[in-house]
Amino acid sequence: MNAPANLPVKAVNEIDWAGKNYLIVDDFVGVRQLLRESLRSLGAKNIDQASSGGEAMGLLARIRYDVVLCDYNLGDGKNGQQVLEEARVRNLVNPSTVWLMVSAEKSVESVMGAAEHQPDAYLIKPITEGVLLTRLNRVWHKKQIFRLIDQAYAEKDYLRAARLCDAAIEAHKAHEIDLLRMRAKLMEKSGEPLKAREVYERVLEQREYQWARAGVAKIRMANGEFEQARQAFQSVIAENRYYIDAYDQLALAYQNMGKLEEACAILERAARLSPNSVPRQRNLGNVALKVGNVQMAEKAFRKCIAIGEYSIMKTPDAYLGLARVCGQKNDAKEALQLLLQVQRDFAADHPDIALRSKITEGLVYHESGDYRRARKAGDELEALLNATQDRPDVPTCLELATLLFAVGVKDAPVELLCYVIRNNHDNPLLLDEVQQIFDKARLGDEGQDLIRASKKEATDLMNQGVLLWKTGKLKDAVEWMRQARRKVPNNQRILFNAAQILVSHMQQHGYDGDLSAEAYDVLHYVDRLLPGQQRFAQLIEQLAQLQPVAEGAPPGGTIAEVA
Amino acid sequence: MDDTPDAPELSLFLASTAHDMKNSISVLSGTLERLLVAHSAQASPQTDPEYTQMAHMLYQTKRLNDNLMQLLALYKQVGTPAYPFDVQPLELGQLVDQVVALESVLLKSRGIKLELDYDPELVWHVDEDLIVGVLSHAINNAIHYTCDTVRLAIRATDDGWLELRVEDNGPGYPPALLKAGAIATRDTAGGMNFLTNSAGLGLYFSSEVAKMHRHRERRGGLRLENGGRYGGGCFILNLP
Repeated sequence: MNAPANLPVKAVNEIDWAGKNYLIVDDFVGVRQLLRESLRSLGAKNIDQASSGGEAMGLLARIRYDVVLCDYNLGDGKNGQQVLEEARVRNLVNPSTVWLMVSAEKSVESVMGAAEHQPDAYLIKPITEGVLLTRLNRVWHKKQIFRLIDQAYAEKDYLRAARLCDAAIEAHKAHEIDLLRMRAKLMEKSGEPLKAREVYERVLEQREYQWARAGVAKIRMANGEFEQARQAFQSVIAENRYYIDAYDQLALAYQNMGKLEEACAILERAARLSPNSVPRQRNLGNVALKVGNVQMAEKAFRKCIAIGEYSIMKTPDAYLGLARVCGQKNDAKEALQLLLQVQRDFAADHPDIALRSKITEGLVYHESGDYRRARKAGDELEALLNATQDRPDVPTCLELATLLFAVGVKDAPVELLCYVIRNNHDNPLLLDEVQQIFDKARLGDEGQDLIRASKKEATDLMNQGVLLWKTGKLKDAVEWMRQARRKVPNNQRILFNAAQILVSHMQQHGYDGDLSAEAYDVLHYVDRLLPGQQRFAQLIEQLAQLQPVAEGAPPGGTIAEVA
Repeated sequence: MDDTPDAPELSLFLASTAHDMKNSISVLSGTLERLLVAHSAQASPQTDPEYTQMAHMLYQTKRLNDNLMQLLALYKQVGTPAYPFDVQPLELGQLVDQVVALESVLLKSRGIKLELDYDPELVWHVDEDLIVGVLSHAINNAIHYTCDTVRLAIRATDDGWLELRVEDNGPGYPPALLKAGAIATRDTAGGMNFLTNSAGLGLYFSSEVAKMHRHRERRGGLRLENGGRYGGGCFILNLP
């Protein structure tokens, strides 16, 4: 859309719907024809049609549509929600694309709360021409109000997005609640939970919105107030049994309290109300496996794999989990087949899949008492680790180290655990967890020394960089932090300091395209490791303000402080 | 309903059948609206018997849709936490636009004037789909009983309620319906005995929808009376 940013509200009736590209997705030919006629009455000429999710994906991959009218229920294959998710994840639609989800009746999915990919509106049949035009205009107008905010959000400049929200609230009182909801989300993303909570409470003063209640509860949970959070989520569910997000959060609260049985029961209820969510079935499977409910775990993982067939959200976790289930049922044969399949299907997007399936293989043998084959898997894992510098994520490292110790390998797990400490030297909970793994392997004292040495290594690297920076040797500091990042690639303090020093360099010596790109790389990397950090939001904002001609950024923003 | 072992199959079956019926109704009402609009371009369509018959078909199709929507919603237990109730802030302008978009062809085909009286910028917190359903149902009813005018008037009262009135200039509700309305919309259950026809279903549904809307200690309500600006039937929804 080429419309100017601050279009006055009145212009809504003058939108040119005739010149847009439309896609209609419905499995019923009568409805497709009807919608096409309605669009033609609006003057539309470019109207494509698809009768299934698969056909829709083919068209979406080739053509950029301005408007998609998609039925939720598309018979066999992908449903409307899965088409939407895949189109968004694969970037097949523009942020300006209007996506209207059509259904025969009010769907559970429309009130789930925090589902990641929501259409712009849900429409209930029958859809007359007048209804269609009314809703198109409304969505278009709302998208105009959110356009710059969404753009800043996509650039992860959450603080700029929040300022734009404030300005929009003043100008568009009718959208105050939606804008406040966005603002709260932005505060959460910027590591400012207290400010997010203030926003939620401001909403609740007006009206009892369940998402605001759930928002407050999420913040209390993050703050360690598990019991209060649990009560709050339960009261949200009592108010609206279909607010599915509250179930997922309630299960998390139980998990944090160590009550896995309860978490499992809640996830099972949620999965019954809204069964077609890949992440939910995966979580249910994982928790069921932990509490030893093999039957429920199997059901959840199998369902997860079945819905994953049509979903961009499909996950290797379900295959690995199901392999564990098979192992516990003494069906090593199916387990190994699943592991072969997962390596074949997920190799492209998951570089650590060979390692993860080998870990699962070791666990399957170990749990079924085949210690000889478990040891063999352990040796192969050691060889895999020696062949590369890359290490998997922290939970996988810990799982791997535990397994390796259990099957009698020693050097590789020690190296892995030291790697984990170096990259997380200021996380006391994780240090305890690592110490426990050492203790279980009867290496308590040695482990304590190793932990201390690894911590010191990381601290020294960081302190030297900070010293260079504080004494004004910015060029040396930048170079030092590059070295430090090479030695400890996943330490968030080192990564944030590296970005901070790059920003300081540009603040003192002027903007530099390469340094700016480097800083963005570092920050986006750390945001993937550990989302929702305050320093991330602050540094991204400072970086954006350093850009020579940053469109949309306020001129002469605040000067970032060097701390 | 999902707590009994065989419920999922039944609800899946109902959902897919409802989906199918809605498709058929969509095509029926869409086609009729199109034909009516095409006919209305001709001179004095109201005297054309084909035109008036089609207008009546559209009215019946709307009734069918209303009843189906109400039954489905009640099956999903409107009035209990089991219904996917979804309150959102909504400008009255957008609410009224929806209702007008649904009703305009039918109104025109029957030669009935819809009078509107509301502040388009006033924001209220409602489940849009349910309220649009209730209002268009009320207007469909009024179309049947009115002489030539239906009035939709919405205003915020001094004590913080939203009052939505659908009035007409027909002869008004018969006493039996007023009585049924009073019972169907009472707070306590028990009105079900009087629900022997679809008028009862519509009233019961509308009053359940009203009651679902809560704010602090207040709940919405429905009442029927005769009078209003034109002395006909008045369907009055009050939302907190």
